[in-house]
Amino acid sequence: MKFAHAAAAIALTVPMAAAPLAGAKAEALRIAIIESLSGGQTSTGRPNVLGASYVIDKLNAAGGFNGDKIVVTEYDNGGNTAGASAKFKQALADGVHIVIQGSSSAIAGQLSEDVRKHNLRNKGKEVLYLNVGAEAMELTGEKCHFHAFRFTTTAPMRVGALVRVMKEAGTLGGRVYSINQNYSWGQDMEAAIKGNAAAGRYEVVETVLHEVNRIQDFAPFVAKIQAAKADTVITGNWSNDLLLLMKAAGASGLKARFATAFLDQPGNIGNAGDVALGHYVAHTYNAEATDGVMAEDYKKVTGHYPAYVEPNTINGVKMLAEALKAVDFKGGAIDVDKLALALENVTLTTDTGVQSIRKEDHQAYLPVVVSRVEAGVKYPVDGTNLGFRPVKVLPSDQTIYPVQASCKMTRPN
Amino acid sequence: MSGKKLFLGLLAAVLLVAVPPFLGLGWQNALTNVLIAALFATAFNLLMGQGGMLSFGHAAYYGIGAFAVLHLMRAVEGGLPFPTALLPLAGGLAGLVAGLGAGYFATLRTGVYFALVTLALAELPHALAPHWEGVFGGESGLSSMRMPSMGLDFGSSLQVYYVALGWTVVCVALLYAYTRTPFGRLTLALRDNEQRVRFMGFDAHAAKTLVFGVSAMMTGIAGGLLALSSETANYNIFSSHVSAQVVLHVFVGGSGLFFGPVIGATVLTLFSFLASEMTRAWLLYQGIIFTLIMLYAPTGIAGVVQAHIAARHRLPWGRLAGPYAVAAIGGLLAAAGTVFVVQMAEHVFSQTYRAAAAQGRWGDVALFGLTWAPHNPATWLAPLAVFALGIVILRRVRAPIARLWHGGEDEADTAASQPAHGAA
Repeated sequence: MKFAHAAAAIALTVPMAAAPLAGAKAEALRIAIIESLSGGQTSTGRPNVLGASYVIDKLNAAGGFNGDKIVVTEYDNGGNTAGASAKFKQALADGVHIVIQGSSSAIAGQLSEDVRKHNLRNKGKEVLYLNVGAEAMELTGEKCHFHAFRFTTTAPMRVGALVRVMKEAGTLGGRVYSINQNYSWGQDMEAAIKGNAAAGRYEVVETVLHEVNRIQDFAPFVAKIQAAKADTVITGNWSNDLLLLMKAAGASGLKARFATAFLDQPGNIGNAGDVALGHYVAHTYNAEATDGVMAEDYKKVTGHYPAYVEPNTINGVKMLAEALKAVDFKGGAIDVDKLALALENVTLTTDTGVQSIRKEDHQAYLPVVVSRVEAGVKYPVDGTNLGFRPVKVLPSDQTIYPVQASCKMTRPN
Repeated sequence: MSGKKLFLGLLAAVLLVAVPPFLGLGWQNALTNVLIAALFATAFNLLMGQGGMLSFGHAAYYGIGAFAVLHLMRAVEGGLPFPTALLPLAGGLAGLVAGLGAGYFATLRTGVYFALVTLALAELPHALAPHWEGVFGGESGLSSMRMPSMGLDFGSSLQVYYVALGWTVVCVALLYAYTRTPFGRLTLALRDNEQRVRFMGFDAHAAKTLVFGVSAMMTGIAGGLLALSSETANYNIFSSHVSAQVVLHVFVGGSGLFFGPVIGATVLTLFSFLASEMTRAWLLYQGIIFTLIMLYAPTGIAGVVQAHIAARHRLPWGRLAGPYAVAAIGGLLAAAGTVFVVQMAEHVFSQTYRAAAAQGRWGDVALFGLTWAPHNPATWLAPLAVFALGIVILRRVRAPIARLWHGGEDEADTAASQPAHGAA
């Protein structure tokens, strides 16, 4: 009996002793970066951490937020959704306010849903999810919710920009070939390529969806492109699927121009070499199109110029920084809803233009740079003499697409 | 003897029920994952350890169970009256059906060929799921939400933990009871001498299919618990690393003992929970642990413990304590040296450090509460010396320990070095 009493006493006093300690201190803003940081996906997760830390370190050097340093914790999701879900729970246990992630649409979908459910169940302890790189349409479509923001482009933004600029430059041609990876991103790209046909006055001569990162030889696909007499090949392929496709095209002497979304992934130009000359890429940032101040500063910290997914992350977290300036919790509890409302009203002038947030689905308005691979540029990449020469920078109002009807956002009262 | 076992079991049960409410959210989630991993490993070991069939594709039944539960959860969200706590039943049913079907084909072959067939069968849903929107939700997968039922809201991690605890305890108990049945004995016979089983008039193929089905059913329940806990699943759950993970758990824990997989799953899940927060190199450490266990304790953690328990009356504990303590020190030294070198390398080879170094800023590295100069050879040679010292100590102390174990009796070493087969 005595043991039971003692146990009951401990059971009652432990939580009570812990409670007052938690409430007394000023609340530090806690940010969790949940990325693929081990295994094969590390090269896609690491840049997001670098980009986010680059901005947050500067914030902390300037005093942090809410009277304390911002606490950033990196969580390794192991490249899969179950790992991401487990790490999100761990982040909650650590008292997180903001989750940053971007290197996979599947993981983005998981985290976004986890955040939505957590916020439904825990009023007053909401968490914000900042998507800095996942481009699946559904993330601002049927999966959109008030606490999720996307700071990267989507397929219609990239394809729309490519078509517009290449049309103006007279390099698009009338016959467009669509080759993409068979999953949500590739399907979004294909839909965007078809959707822009009228505006670009071209005919989609053939569409192909192929297995993701499994094809070793793209020669049969290139033969089909050749037979279709395509002027331009538009593709959302990334990593090996883009590299091998371009190499096969180079080997067969294909004349068609490539219009891509991810040609600026580090290593691509180094591997493809002269085959890449004259091909296009639509991205949100190109150091050539800027005064180079940010690029040089970033290189000082990380050893390389910002490229690929990093600029999205940098600018997305910079928008968060603006939102933090707009709110003041006077050292007290952090109200995530207020922060989200402030974020909706941020307008950030970046090196390439103005970016802001669309309130209806929390998709960012982003400027898009369309660049062409050329020699003799200021910032050659991968140790070659090639780099990306900006053809045109489109302001964000020219790249945005309509809000998806599937997005039904419930706003806080 | 059995009274002592009962007491230990009750003590474990009381601890598992009473302690988690006082733990943080992080530990509650980690323990839920431990329970799920433990059930998965135990179900897998029914096939591998007891049935002698090494499957490289158990992720398939884990994933099928998860998706089955998610479909039921979505139906419940849509208004179907079904108690939330019983949702994993759907996973068990789906796992059983899939397991019987796949098992029928896989068990036509044995050994390597069996493993290859299971691998191929597991690749099927992995390739299919991203494209089959209706069943697997495409690339992003399915998601749902636990609905309140029977007066509980199932919103907190603690409630999910108790659901997982209930299911895991019941299923592991059932699997243990299974080993005591005549069919459980037959399962062992299938592993040891299948031809003899056939001579005795049993249909070995049908029996193996059934063992496969039961293992897949329990695996499906584990997958269902995962779905219940994370409320989503996508095609990633079918990937080969999920299949590999359970093999790892079972081998580290020890496949020859019934509770070996539980130990392996617990140790490795907690290790990943703790280590993945501390270092990016945790997979390397996990690999090192696995390799060392395979090299020096092939019977796994449970096998080592079992050998000590079996020989407990015979061993000269008083004389062993000294050499064991020395061995522990040697092991710690070797481990400390390794960890230091790996962590230093991780720091020095990180992108930000290399960027600073390229500009001539070879800053000191803060590690374990002290700062170290990476360009100073002593920073690297000292831990290597510690590592070498540890290895020398371990090598030296091996012979005296072996002598004490043998203790003059010739047959005694068999207990320590041979796999202790048999359930429990």
